[in-house]
Amino acid sequence: MRVGMPRGLMFYKYYPFWQAYLDSLDVELVVSERTNKKILDLGLEAAENEFCLPLKVFYGHALSLKDKADALLIPRLVSVHKKEFTCPKMLGLPDLIHALEGRVPPVISPKIDVRKNTRGYYRELMGLGKRFDGKNRRIVSAILAGRRAQIEYEKKLIAGMTPPEALEGDTRETTKQELTIGLVGHSYNIYDSYITLDLIKRLRRAGAKVLVPENISPETIDAESRDLPKRLFWTYEKEIVGSAFHWMKSEAVSGVIYVLAFACGPDSFIQSVIEDKSRSLGNVPVMSLVIDEHSTEGGMITRLEAFIDMLKRRDHAACNASHG
Amino acid sequence: MDAYLGVDVGSVSTNLVVIDEDERVVCSLYRRTKGQPIKAVQDGLRELGGILDEPVEIKGAGTTGSARTLSGVICGADIVKNEITAHAIGAVHYDPEVKTILEIGGQDSKIILLRDGIVVDFAMNTVCAAGTGSFLDHQAARLGIPIEEFGDYALESSKGAQIAGRCTVFAESDMIHKQQVGYLVEDIIYGLCQALVRNYLNNLAKGKRIETPIVFQGGVAANAGIRRAFEESLEKEVRVPEHYGVMGAIGAAVLAKETVDDGRPTNFSGFEVADRDFKTSSFHCGGCSNNCEVIKIELEGDLLARWGGRCGKWELEEHPTVSLRGATPASATKQTM
Repeated sequence: MRVGMPRGLMFYKYYPFWQAYLDSLDVELVVSERTNKKILDLGLEAAENEFCLPLKVFYGHALSLKDKADALLIPRLVSVHKKEFTCPKMLGLPDLIHALEGRVPPVISPKIDVRKNTRGYYRELMGLGKRFDGKNRRIVSAILAGRRAQIEYEKKLIAGMTPPEALEGDTRETTKQELTIGLVGHSYNIYDSYITLDLIKRLRRAGAKVLVPENISPETIDAESRDLPKRLFWTYEKEIVGSAFHWMKSEAVSGVIYVLAFACGPDSFIQSVIEDKSRSLGNVPVMSLVIDEHSTEGGMITRLEAFIDMLKRRDHAACNASHG
Repeated sequence: MDAYLGVDVGSVSTNLVVIDEDERVVCSLYRRTKGQPIKAVQDGLRELGGILDEPVEIKGAGTTGSARTLSGVICGADIVKNEITAHAIGAVHYDPEVKTILEIGGQDSKIILLRDGIVVDFAMNTVCAAGTGSFLDHQAARLGIPIEEFGDYALESSKGAQIAGRCTVFAESDMIHKQQVGYLVEDIIYGLCQALVRNYLNNLAKGKRIETPIVFQGGVAANAGIRRAFEESLEKEVRVPEHYGVMGAIGAAVLAKETVDDGRPTNFSGFEVADRDFKTSSFHCGGCSNNCEVIKIELEGDLLARWGGRCGKWELEEHPTVSLRGATPASATKQTM
């Protein structure tokens, strides 16, 4: 049996787990190509116009796996952290893709919900293994293999790699590093080099060292996000806020770039939270870059260049002031 | 006389400025791009060559604006800079103390905040061009009033009509409605200016601290009605510099001067470039599923530059300079990204 996995949304979060889990059960995993024009066009055509860009992209990935897999594995992510939720589109994702019936392989959607405890989660993984004809003992070792792979992966990220470097073998050009920029945003936005128009590569070419949220430990992110008057119950948004706060407070970066998707509800809330914090701390500027399917290079390059010019001139001025 | 050239090619206007060694503006030119950036630059250079009183030697050239890369190749720019930085440098050149720059151009608007001459924050309009020069142009044409007189009408109004500024489509329906029920045309025009300013302040300037000195620049700064609306809304003095329409070009010229400060020879192609034959063409690459459109610039059969591909395989290692003096081509055009 060949199981297909769209290279969108939660791919960069959990791929290593699923890959190792399925591999232990002798299930072949097929992943869609990296986002390209064809995939985006497929998604734009099939998805509702009101959806956010990453969801449209996900549609494209799912559709591109037609005839390439016997089933699509699209977990229903209800909650991946105690007392927290994911965004509503994650909850409904398997149903949305299922509605494309006939144009995509059948959808398998184990429910991931650890809001109260992890019992249901393991039950789902056991049930999923049985669908692939696994014996209990074998499924347990598949889950363990998956967890090991995931832990290995996260170690690489904490050590400073970006998910595409750890997963897809992306390499870094060695460039002169004149400043450090913290890049925040949902993993499915910032690591999709097609929809972000090669943002990470462009930043590095402009002389920036780029830090990403995955480089920060979950404990730090939890601690930093507690700075808010009310607990943030969206896990992935908490990561964005926590990493931005961490970099701004520790002045680990000269500036923060926040990539957000047009029509993303959570992003629009978080944007204000981050911008307010930047203003009240007053030392690390934030630039928000909104992406949608109409994004063009021109507008983005202008903003990036201006932001980097600004940071370099600031650093330069600060340096001169302290020496004279 | 040694001088430096700044060229700002935007969606609506193409501006050229020549400054001298002391950064004084020797002459400036504001003309419409009319969708033909290459021709606009060439015509501009020709005209500039004609109106300069004394022979100048261009020691450095800089380009900015949305067609900065293209015009950089045509002019042989020593520096190609984004318009936010160029506008900031232009404003600092006018007033080193400037803290807020309000800039409204043909199809974009920006706000730039500076402290001690350094940009500390900026914003640019995003998906929509509502409330920029093109919209005013369009409405002026619809009312049959030359855009140059638009601001004077606004100044005559005692109270602006209430017009929705969120979207130009709604603003236009509002304007038509106000006309039909008998509002004075000057009140409608001033109401439009207020709507545009309200939209600007609520979007771009949201949450930003606007401190004096405030400089208002860009083509729309010619409109006294907008300036009045800014001053009334902010309750602060808003200054419009003498060269308000070409501040980006001034910034580019100042940057060019900084760039060649180390004594390097300029890449400037010379005013004669106005009479050369540049051709642009495009093709679809087809090398992968992205099917990028690649743009090619040629000068009389010689390939000057290529861009537009996602992977960079079509980009030339170096932009050859448009050398008319038989000099050896200098290094590649300096670009940050």
